[in-house]
Amino acid sequence: MPEPLIDQKFLERLERLTLHWQKSFAGLVGGHNRSRFSGAGQEFLDHRGFFPGDDLRAINWRAFLRLEKLLLKLFQVEPRVPVRLLLDTSASMSTGSPSKFDYARKLTAALSYVGLVRLETVLLQPFAGTLHDPITCSGGRHRIRPAVEFLEGLEAGGRTDFLNAIKQFVAEYPQRGLVIVVSDFFDDHDCEKPLQYLADFGHEVFVVQLWSDDDRVPPHDGEIEIEDAETGQIVKLNFDEEARAAYVDAFDSYARALRELTFRKGGRYIGLSTATPVEQAIFGAFLEARSMQ
Amino acid sequence: MFFFNLTLGEFALLWSAVSGAALALYLLDRSRKKIKVATMRFWKPSERPPEAKHRKKIQQPWSLIMQILGMGLLLAAVAQLRLGSPDRSSRDHVLLLDTSAWMAAREGQRALIDEAKVNAIRWLRSLPNADRVMLVRADAMPTPATVFETNRQAVEMAILQTKPGASALHFQAALDFARRMQRQHGQSGGEVVFAGGTRGHALDMPNEAALPPTLRLLPVKEPARNVGIRRFNVRRQPQQAQRWEVFISVRNDGRAPETVPLMVTFGNAPIGSSVLKIAPGGEETARYEFETKAAGWMEARLQVRDGLAEDNRALIEIPEQKPVRVAVFTREPGLLQPLMKATPRINAQFAPPEAYKLDTDADIIVIDRFRPPAKPVRSALYIEPPADGAPLAVAKSGVASKMKAWRVEHPIAAGLRTLDLRLDRTTIFTSSPNVETVAEADNGVLIAASPAQPRAVYLGFHPGAQTLKFELAIPLLTANIFEWMAPEVLRRLEWNGESVGTVKTAIEPRTDTATIQVLDEQNQPLPFSTSDSTLQFYSGARGLVRVRTGSRETVHSLSLPEVGEAVWEPPARVRRGFGRASGSDSPIRELWPWLALFGAALLFAEWWMFGRLRLPTHGGVITPIDMLRRVVAPFRKAS
Repeated sequence: MPEPLIDQKFLERLERLTLHWQKSFAGLVGGHNRSRFSGAGQEFLDHRGFFPGDDLRAINWRAFLRLEKLLLKLFQVEPRVPVRLLLDTSASMSTGSPSKFDYARKLTAALSYVGLVRLETVLLQPFAGTLHDPITCSGGRHRIRPAVEFLEGLEAGGRTDFLNAIKQFVAEYPQRGLVIVVSDFFDDHDCEKPLQYLADFGHEVFVVQLWSDDDRVPPHDGEIEIEDAETGQIVKLNFDEEARAAYVDAFDSYARALRELTFRKGGRYIGLSTATPVEQAIFGAFLEARSMQ
Repeated sequence: MFFFNLTLGEFALLWSAVSGAALALYLLDRSRKKIKVATMRFWKPSERPPEAKHRKKIQQPWSLIMQILGMGLLLAAVAQLRLGSPDRSSRDHVLLLDTSAWMAAREGQRALIDEAKVNAIRWLRSLPNADRVMLVRADAMPTPATVFETNRQAVEMAILQTKPGASALHFQAALDFARRMQRQHGQSGGEVVFAGGTRGHALDMPNEAALPPTLRLLPVKEPARNVGIRRFNVRRQPQQAQRWEVFISVRNDGRAPETVPLMVTFGNAPIGSSVLKIAPGGEETARYEFETKAAGWMEARLQVRDGLAEDNRALIEIPEQKPVRVAVFTREPGLLQPLMKATPRINAQFAPPEAYKLDTDADIIVIDRFRPPAKPVRSALYIEPPADGAPLAVAKSGVASKMKAWRVEHPIAAGLRTLDLRLDRTTIFTSSPNVETVAEADNGVLIAASPAQPRAVYLGFHPGAQTLKFELAIPLLTANIFEWMAPEVLRRLEWNGESVGTVKTAIEPRTDTATIQVLDEQNQPLPFSTSDSTLQFYSGARGLVRVRTGSRETVHSLSLPEVGEAVWEPPARVRRGFGRASGSDSPIRELWPWLALFGAALLFAEWWMFGRLRLPTHGGVITPIDMLRRVVAPFRKAS
């Protein structure tokens, strides 16, 4: 029996958290923005006649006393800031031990739950070369189950094409909001440009870069034959201490560049090793980055 | 050179498998590792030029050769490679060490057993180390002293602890036992070696046709002359309680005629002596009589210096012969006096009924026609008890009767058959469940007995009456009554001084075997068998054995050594002495310790020369910490 993505105890700890963003999106409420109305944040819109099956709590009893007619109050739901989670499902995510893909799914489930608890509308959008079928969850914490089942049904595969996926995303979701990108950002092409494109479109970008320890510091020595998990390309090379140092240096430089770009565009960046437990990452790195409070 | 644990084929197969595995691991270890990575973005080859390697070729042949050789040496050590001939691998020998009584004999200053031990140890030390030896002590019954083992010190210790026994050698049984042990426990048959003399009983000598082909004799030099007491019998004459008869049998085991003086003493006082002239292999007897009522030691001694001193002296302890004290309370002692005198071991004291006391100091009390004021606390004979206050209910009193039947199954009626006994005046008893009827008259119970202690016998007539004075049954009846009431005292005793082993003694014909007891010194029963009028039992140890058959007890003092009368002459084909065992000219040498040492050294050298280079180093120098890290790495991972 596979291990569940997220357990009840962890969910209980997530209850007190709130997704936090820095930008102000005109006409939208939700998240850390206070609503002008008390209660559930709904605004009265109109009356209509009562029909059997309608919610009795919405009947305007004062009007009934005066008019002796059952009238139902109608409310307008205010548009809220959409929270969108872009989850990388490319083949490169399946490497490493523990698997980055499993780690990313757990992290995504945890972030979704935090959003649902605060009645946000959460969109889970998997992608690799293109966008895959998404799922939208809203309506409170009890709607986490479909999200978890959706995540459990995902499989890693395919090549990453960040630019294409982001273009498609921007075209499909014109409403601005919080975009959390969970990926290893291992694209043969440049990842900076797509992120810049996303930020320039008006989204608040929250980058979560994942890597396994082997991704950052390969433990191999001597003559090795490496195979790209996405392209299948094979390269034979001699790897030693010096090469390892150069590798680590290049990796760190790339992560640093990604971080600086995100900050420059008003977003936030978190780099996580899969050796860090998800719970520790949520209550450590995420809180420190002020992406939650 | 050969393998002890494996055949050559098994060794070759195992070494091939191990070598193949080593080669496969070697090639695997030196092949290029294939790794799947998430991206190629950061991978850059080392600036150092890679070593030119041909993957399918062995790059470090010496490393592989050293590994395979090292493992081969270790495998050979496990297989116990030995230097020598495989037919000398391991044989199982049985060493029969003669522990018969004859081995206590001396030839010169040394006992035969000591010479046999020296021979056995010398033979033992001539064996190859791998041979296993079982030591069996052979006398009347062969007894293993060790299992088959290669520990020479243990076998030598068992040899040195061996002492001569008391029984004669059963040569055939020893050889059979040795062959059975070799068949059951031995891996490969070795020699059956007999160290000792070849003297035993003629019936126990080995069948020459069925001798083990690997029999080897380590003979000892036996003494030329030996004369010994073979039987020493003392018994009381039936007619005279204090007169004893002594029979002594002496045998000459030597090769020349012997003239030996024999002296018999009782309590150090001589009671007889004779000079016996005995032919070689012959036996002479001597008979003496003497009187005594005291207890003491009776000794028979041969005044001779010969090979075996133990059989020149026999000793028997004769206990004090106590008479049965009978207190007779009667007004007519003249009627009973003849009956009391008829039994020699009865000491009767007569007194009037008025002198009756409860604590009368006697073994048996006779109460003649009166009612005692209190019931006696000792065994009692009631003669015509009065009806008033009789201990047994009286049916009729003072009536004439005719004997109708004897209950012959009762000990008191044993041997009594007469039925024409007419009695003018009798007392007839009423039968009771607490008493046993001994004799019946035509009008009821005439003689009854109470078996509960103290025992009591009730006579319905007076045995000394005028009409019975000439009846032969009456003295026998009286003797039976006293014997039944005091069986320990009146038991007929006989002492036999004999040798241990199988003992035969005569018993009365048609004796019920249920009444026979054969007891050792601890009163533990010994198994026995009977046929016709002979009882036979076996005792392998010195000591006393009592044979009780009814009123007779024979005490067998098994103190004499059992010396066989025959000497076995082995056929010429039987090997003698310390001849070299087949294949012993190429002694086996164990190589496995050296092989294990060299194998381990070779593997360590291989690791030192090639393996340690694969360790993570600090500036090219391997530190002890590096080696330690390598060792503990798997454990740290596991934790």
